[in-house]
Amino acid sequence: MRAAATRVFAIARKEFIHISRDWRMIVAVLVLPLLQLLLFAYAISFDVRNVPSVVLDLDRTAASRSYLDAYSKSGFFEVRGSVADFAGVDDAFNRSEARVAIVVQRGFGSALAAGGTGSVSVLIDGSEPNSAQLGQTYAVALNQSLGRKALASWAESRGLGTLRVGSLEPRIQSWYNPGRRSADFLIPGLMIVIIMIVTIQQTAVTLVKERENGTLEQLLESPLTQSELIVGKVLPWAVLGVVDTALITAVSMGIFGIPLRGDVSVLAVGIGLFILCALSVGLAISAVAPSLESANIAGLLVSFLPGFMLSGMAFPLDSIPVPLQVISYLFPARYMVEIARGVFLRGASWTILAPQVLSLTAYALIGLGVATVLNRRKRA
Amino acid sequence: MSLRRVRLIMWKELLQLRRDRLLLPLVFIMPIMYVIMFGYVVGSDVRNLSTAVVDHDRTVTSQRIIDAFSSSGYFVVTQRPESEASLQPLIDSGKAKVALVIERGTEASLARGETVPLSVIVDGADSKTASVASGYAAETVAALDRELLAKAGRVSGGPVLDARVRVMFNPSLKSVNAMVPGLVASILMLSIMVIMSQAVVRERARGTLEQMMVTPITRAEYLTGKVLPYVGVAAIQMTFVVLIGLYWFDVPFNGSVWTVALGLVLFTLTSIGMGLLISLVSRTQQQAQQTVMFVLIPTMVLSGFIFPIESMPPAIVPLTYLIPLRYALVVLRSAFLKGSGVVDLWAPLSAMVAFAVGVFGLAVSRFRKRLAE
Repeated sequence: MRAAATRVFAIARKEFIHISRDWRMIVAVLVLPLLQLLLFAYAISFDVRNVPSVVLDLDRTAASRSYLDAYSKSGFFEVRGSVADFAGVDDAFNRSEARVAIVVQRGFGSALAAGGTGSVSVLIDGSEPNSAQLGQTYAVALNQSLGRKALASWAESRGLGTLRVGSLEPRIQSWYNPGRRSADFLIPGLMIVIIMIVTIQQTAVTLVKERENGTLEQLLESPLTQSELIVGKVLPWAVLGVVDTALITAVSMGIFGIPLRGDVSVLAVGIGLFILCALSVGLAISAVAPSLESANIAGLLVSFLPGFMLSGMAFPLDSIPVPLQVISYLFPARYMVEIARGVFLRGASWTILAPQVLSLTAYALIGLGVATVLNRRKRA
Repeated sequence: MSLRRVRLIMWKELLQLRRDRLLLPLVFIMPIMYVIMFGYVVGSDVRNLSTAVVDHDRTVTSQRIIDAFSSSGYFVVTQRPESEASLQPLIDSGKAKVALVIERGTEASLARGETVPLSVIVDGADSKTASVASGYAAETVAALDRELLAKAGRVSGGPVLDARVRVMFNPSLKSVNAMVPGLVASILMLSIMVIMSQAVVRERARGTLEQMMVTPITRAEYLTGKVLPYVGVAAIQMTFVVLIGLYWFDVPFNGSVWTVALGLVLFTLTSIGMGLLISLVSRTQQQAQQTVMFVLIPTMVLSGFIFPIESMPPAIVPLTYLIPLRYALVVLRSAFLKGSGVVDLWAPLSAMVAFAVGVFGLAVSRFRKRLAE
């Protein structure tokens, strides 16, 4: 047993030396994750603001101007300029200079003053559906409240007294993340994706590299057993995964002020299990891949795509088709994102997260088993 | 330039590609996986949000409000707890994404002509759903207000603001319609950058580059032979993406084929240049892979491909101008969906020309130097 431990540590040390000799590798493993974190946390958001808009005012009255002013003040539409005719609207859309065009028809002001119908149209460029969807809902709501105001001021000017129709006003509150800061939502998930990319990618290539260099044969000549070799090779990456997690957690809490409301021990156990899962996926790839290229590309495909798309880290998973929902349960990232988000944002405890932790445990055990079998077969 | 030598190099590359029994399937599975994931996951539209309603008012009006929410198609009322206290566990467990609280006396206050707050609670831990749900809630309440107003016959004859909100180019607002043109560009870039940089670095790492240099082949011939097979692979992948998009996801194509083609050619040159630059700064395949990731992640995040540029903070927006994919996206999306022509798109197209000339030129000239060393 002592001898086995010595051999495992010798391999782990060799791997660490490989890593520390290659400055790019250190950058890739320790600096890159932090850069990614900063980039994602600052840049990503689904809260659309300042949608570029143009106005076409065919009426040119005080009423039309104050109507258009309401758009600039809404904070959602950013009026970038006005155009003279419909051709100008077409141009702005075709050049992608504006996503929304607000057109006030001729006679708008006089119609409203006379108690008639003032017509406007809001044209929205649907080629960016995210902004268009929100633009549509905001435009409808804004016009509704402007219409009420027009009616109220008309009633007042006729001496009909204040308008005696009540109205509802939505008061939208956001729980858990009151400022609806995307960073709070994304960072716990992001952490998982970053760790997944680092660990799967690296373990996927580590054995293939030894094989391509011919050093795998030399190692197998030595008294090392297969499992000692694998444990030794994987250990440094597991350690780096833990270091990355700690770094990212520190930055998230320190710089972004992400709350850590729940039980840290759930998070720690979860991350440990998750790293084991990721390592077993990496090892399985390294057993199957015949060359470094295919190991690299398979690693990219298995870590980046499902980690990003099917983990629920940025995109809600309840509205995707059922077959894909089923597939999403096959990747450990989904459980880990739930654990991380639960612990960080919702203050979840062991009892709430037990199903996820159990799934990860099962995944880690099965994954390590499959990876060992595949590697053994490869050797035989 | 001897065509025969170019052909031989191409032949060698294709042989190597075929010999790797995992690489070739991966190259073809990759675009399919991308389209499916992006089409269904990123492109899925938030609808049928499970909603919990606490109705303290219990009047005809409060029932009307609940009906308006559930018939909007955006909200499905799944829970009707008695008090706010039971909302928290519902939202905690994800059983409800949205909660609606109707205060006691809502009907009476409305009848008095007051403005009555209607509480809508969204789960902020899920920011896309939260943002979309608040928009829907605002729209639904606006429609309700309109109805209340119409009911009040007393003010009939007053002015009406008739606003027609119309979505152009993609009236169904299906996200996948905007996703597919973007995917074409992303896959092109990803594939050329990843596979080609690996192929070039491999030669250096294995020492076969030196062997190549003692043969009569010139640099131009070598480079052409090395690059063309991967452009071919990328072209096949793009065809896959377009076909799946057009026939599986029913993405409309309203544009001009020539504008699309011009955009793709320019972007291919930029991608080749980036792939070559990556292979120049990397000694081993692992380093090349890491460099690709280093470039890939900011590109995906900042190009506007997944996350709208409008939603980024102003300090970040200038950075997006440094991302070649940003311009390719504008060109391809506009050409696909709006039928914009070369004249409309002169600004992003000239940026693409600049990138193509700059990056490709730099890569090729540096590559010569490296070979000569």
